[in-house]
Parts: sequence; C-alpha cells; structure tokens
Amino acid sequence: MNKPTQDKFITRREFITMLTGLGASVGVAAVLSDFDSLNDLIQKELAIDLNEEPLEKKSHGNGKHRWGMVIDLSKCIGCKYCVYACQAVNDVPDDMRWNVYLTDETESGNIFHMTRPCLHCQDAPCVAVCPVQATYVRDDGIVIMDYDVCIGCRYCQVACPYGARTFNWEKRTASSGYQEDWGTAEVDRRPRGVAEKCTFCVHRIDRGIPLGLVPGIDRAATPACVNICPVKARVFGDLNDPNSPISQVIASHPTFRLREELGTEPNVYYIPPEGMVL
Amino acid sequence: MTTIAAPTSTDRPISSPNSTFRVWIGFLICLLTIGVLSAVSVLWNGLEVTNLTNQVPWGLWITVDLSAIALGAGAFSLSAVAYLLRADSFRRIARMAVFAGLVGYTSAMLALAMDIGRPDRFWHPILYWNIHSVLWEVTMCVILYSTVLGVEFAPILMESKIVSKRFPKAPKIGHTIHQFAPVAAIIGLGLSLLHQSSLGATYGVLVARPIWFKPSLPVMFILSAVAAGVTFTLGVTVFYENVVKTRQISDKLRRQIAMLAGLTMLAYLYLKLWDFLATSYYSHLPSRVEDLDLLNRIAPYGSSFWIIEVLLGGLIPAVILLTPKLRAQDKWILAAALLAFIGIVVNRWNVTLSGLIVPMDWSPGVAEVLHVNSYRPNWTEWGIAVGVLGYGLMALTLGLRFLPMFPHDDH
Repeated sequence: MNKPTQDKFITRREFITMLTGLGASVGVAAVLSDFDSLNDLIQKELAIDLNEEPLEKKSHGNGKHRWGMVIDLSKCIGCKYCVYACQAVNDVPDDMRWNVYLTDETESGNIFHMTRPCLHCQDAPCVAVCPVQATYVRDDGIVIMDYDVCIGCRYCQVACPYGARTFNWEKRTASSGYQEDWGTAEVDRRPRGVAEKCTFCVHRIDRGIPLGLVPGIDRAATPACVNICPVKARVFGDLNDPNSPISQVIASHPTFRLREELGTEPNVYYIPPEGMVL
Repeated sequence: MTTIAAPTSTDRPISSPNSTFRVWIGFLICLLTIGVLSAVSVLWNGLEVTNLTNQVPWGLWITVDLSAIALGAGAFSLSAVAYLLRADSFRRIARMAVFAGLVGYTSAMLALAMDIGRPDRFWHPILYWNIHSVLWEVTMCVILYSTVLGVEFAPILMESKIVSKRFPKAPKIGHTIHQFAPVAAIIGLGLSLLHQSSLGATYGVLVARPIWFKPSLPVMFILSAVAAGVTFTLGVTVFYENVVKTRQISDKLRRQIAMLAGLTMLAYLYLKLWDFLATSYYSHLPSRVEDLDLLNRIAPYGSSFWIIEVLLGGLIPAVILLTPKLRAQDKWILAAALLAFIGIVVNRWNVTLSGLIVPMDWSPGVAEVLHVNSYRPNWTEWGIAVGVLGYGLMALTLGLRFLPMFPHDDH
C-alpha cells in the first residue's frame, strides 16, 4: 500500500496519457486516410509545369475576379505542409517565411493551429506607405511587389499590421532547402535589399487563366499552400463569383478576418476554431 | 568666457592653424575613417551586417537621420523670422542657420543612403510617385528643401575668399542670388513645415501600431525640431565665438533667439504633457495600455522618457534659455544646446523603438504568441553613426573657418 509510485510499472496517470495519445494518433490517421497521401500531394505539385513563355512583368490582373482564401481553423491540424510548400515553390528560406505557423489558444482554453499568409488587404497599409509604388493592389485584389522599383526603405514592414513582410537582408546564394521534397522553385530568388511577401502564387494564376484554368479548382493555377493541405483547410478562389467554392464556403460558415477593426479589408477569411466565439 | 569684447573683426589669417585646431581636425578624420570603413562594409555585405531584423527593421540610423533633420530646423525657422517677419536683427544669424541646416540635411542623407536596401535607387521617389505615401511627401520635400538650402547657401560660398580669389565676379552673382532670400525663405518655410511634421506622421498614421497612432506626432515633431534646431544653431554660434574670441551676434539677438527657442520648447513640452495625459492617463485604449505595460516591463522606457527626454532634454534647456541670468553666460547656452541635442536624439530613438519593440498581435487567440522584440545597434551601426557625426562636425568646422558666416557689413 505504501509503495512509492515510481516503483509501479506504470501509473494510472501515465496510462491515461498514453491511451489518449494513442487515441489521438489513430484519430489523426483516420482523418488523414480520407484525404490524399502527402506523397501524392507532392507528386501532383511537382507535376505542375510552369516552364513556358515568361509572364508580363508588371501585370495588374483582371478586375473581373477578386482572389481570396479561406483558412478553416477548425480543420487545421498544424502539419505545416503549407509553410513548407510555400517555401519550396517561392524559394523562401526559414527566416523569411511568407506563410507562417504558430499555436494559439482560444479564450476557453482550446489550443488551435494558426497559419497566416499575406492577407492581401484591399486597403493595404503597406501599399499606402510605399514611397515609390513598388507594392500595389492589383485589379484582381492581389497585393504584390515590383522588386525592380523597391528602394528597400522597409516602411511597408513597419506599416503591415500582420507582420507579413520580410526583407532581403543579405544576398541569398543557397536555395530555401525545401525544393525537391516539397516542390520546385517556380519564381526567381529576390535580390538583396528589397522587401518581399506572399503573392498568392500569382505566377500560377497569371499563367493559368489564359490557358482556361480556374484558380482554386485547377491545381496548376492554385497557390501551393492550398494544394498541399492534407485536410483541405485552405480554400482558394474568386470572391466575386458567387458560385465559386470559396464564396460558397463563406456563405455557409461563420468567418472573420484578422484585425478587422483596422479597416484593411483582407481577402483572407478564417473559419473559427472550436471553442472560439465570434 | 563672458568677457569677450563686442564684435570687432572676423578677419583672421586662413593659414597657420594652431595646434588645438590640428588635433581637432585629426580627431574628426578618425571619426570619418570609422564611418568610411563601416560604410564599405555595409555597401559590400548589405544590411545583414546590422542588428536590424524583420521585427525591428528601423533602428539607430533612422534615429540619426531624424535627429539630423530636426537639428537642421534652425535654418527655416530663423530664416523665416529674418526675412518673413522682417526681424532684421535675425539676418545676422541667417547664414549660420542656413549652413547648419545644410549640414543637418546632408548628414541625414548620408545616414539614409546607408539605411535603404538599394542605395542605387535613391532617385526612385522622383520617378515613381506615390502621392498617398507620407514618406514620399517627406522625400520630395527634403529634396526640394535641400535645393532651397543650396540656393540660400550659394551667396556664402561665392563671397568666400577661396571662390572670389579665382572668380572675381562670384560675389556679385552671389549678391544677386541673395536678392531671392525672402522668396527662398517662404518656400523653405512651407517645405520644412511639411516634411518636419510629416516625419512625425510617418509614425503617427500607422493604425496598426497603437503606441504611434495619434494625431499629435506631426505637431510634436515640428515643435521639437524648431526648439532643438534653433538652440543648436545658437549653441554652435556661441561655441564659435569662444573659439575666435570675438562676439558675432549682439546680446539683443542672442536674447531673442534664446526666447524663441525656449518658448517653442515650452510649447512642445506642454503638448507632450497633454499627449501623455490624453492617450495614457485619462483614456485607456486597451491595445495601447497593453503595449505601454509591456514596454515598462521590459525596458527602462519610463526613465529614459521622463528623465532624459522631458527633464534633461526639454525642461532644463527651456529654463536656461528663458532665464536672463543663465542665458547671458556662454557655458549655460552651451549646456542648453548640448542637452537639447541629447534630448532630440533620445526622443527620436524612443519614438522609433517604442513602436517597434512591442510585437503586433495579429493572431485571433488569447495566448501571447509573439515575443517582445529586442534591438541593440552593433558596431557597424555605431560606426556609421560616428561617421555621420564626424561629417557633420567636419563640415561645421571647415565652414566656420573658411566661409564668411558672419560678414561685417550686414545688409
């Protein structure tokens, strides 16, 4: 009776913890088995062939569309595939991630997985402050950089309410390290001394539309982070089209946008995680 | 020091500098060498040699840049008083003020050239306009105002012995240019009011950062710049008087300048008090309270704000400048100028860093997921700062030595 607990082969607490862990693993595996395997996802990514004629240098997109994204925090399992796929396709090193991941907690104490690409604000503070119009909102809602105009003042970094911008502090000679395993680099590495950010994989969209592809539906015209997500927590598409998958998801789910009170009008919507009251 | 005689002659032999002067020049060359070596490292390796990060992308160099611009504010303020308010006595110091302004603005440009990631594209704002960007407005005003300063400075250069010896007609051309001084003063006033204020707006308009976001910043920037810039110009003048052991400005003018600077300083402090009361004491914007709490927890922000910025950098210089007995003594004027100098530098540092050190919480949860940022300039950054200081002091020294800053026959 008086035996110290450490003599036990296993305490009740440990047993329960193990059982819970095992259960969770089985659960995740069961969930994942409903979806494509990671290997299949990566193979599909690698199969995307973008090697065609170079794109127009400074495109403004087609104002008919407004590209946006939904990130379902109740589905996200925190695998970070989206982070890595982005780093491979856009050749982004670890300390400059365009698409970041972190763990957060709801008021009721539920842990949830948070990822954040650039939110492509329609009233973007970074665009307003840039002294040389090196960054701009395209007619189709995508916020991109003109690396040839940027003077590297970093005011956009200071102004962005979401910390979504990174700066090329040094000349990068090595690749991001995520190629091959997670995809191929589809855009040029940015030069030293300019700011950069998530582009919604605009090179895929601009190439895909003339070919008749539909961003959000056809993989070759959809951002890598969306394609790679094993639980389909990310949905991409045209917010102007009421029949697009993204518009339907938004219509049928409660959504919110980050720091909405600032009036930046992001094009990225979030579906709240379990336990979060909007 | 206070026993210097009334203005007599500023004619000094240009050759045969004494040994103190040589040591001083030698010291400045050391500072410049440090600056050049640091600049080579920055231009060669890029900004990775700094301690700046994606979380704190602005630091010491922005502080240097903002401080130098503020210290150059004596130029437009004193020119405006001299040529627009037609306070003729102020013309005596107009040249010195314009020159100090030119030194301040060129120093700022040096710091900025280091700070931007692509110095080869410094001219882009002239070509690619973003009229919605407060920084574009600042850039254009600074470029245009530097041109105005150049026009105001040209007569000084043309009248100098170095130029007039080779080009005998130069002083006459310089005199013609000087006819436009009132016009230059008007344009200069407009441009300076705009960009000195909008440098504050650079921070004040950023809705995402609750410590910065307030309409008082532009006004505080212009007032603090005028106060510190005029005090600095007066300090340099009094220092020069002691070097050449000759009074250059009358006691009356000295009193007038001190009053102008001291009263502006008080106005600035009053605004600063209400800025604090309105944003942090009587009202409680939750995000701002959170950020200020965080700042006070991690850094002696409170003490550097209240003690260095407000007391040492503002209140004490104001008292000195407004107390007849104190401002009559050179050592007190010099102390006031030095304190105002420190005050403006610490203020610009505090404004810049306070907004950047606190992380922006964009995640929708309640966990503190983003860490408090830290920043401490490294040796390369200090090296550039030292180099810019060396340039400023060297320019002031050579200008005062070789150019007619205080000509005998004042128009």
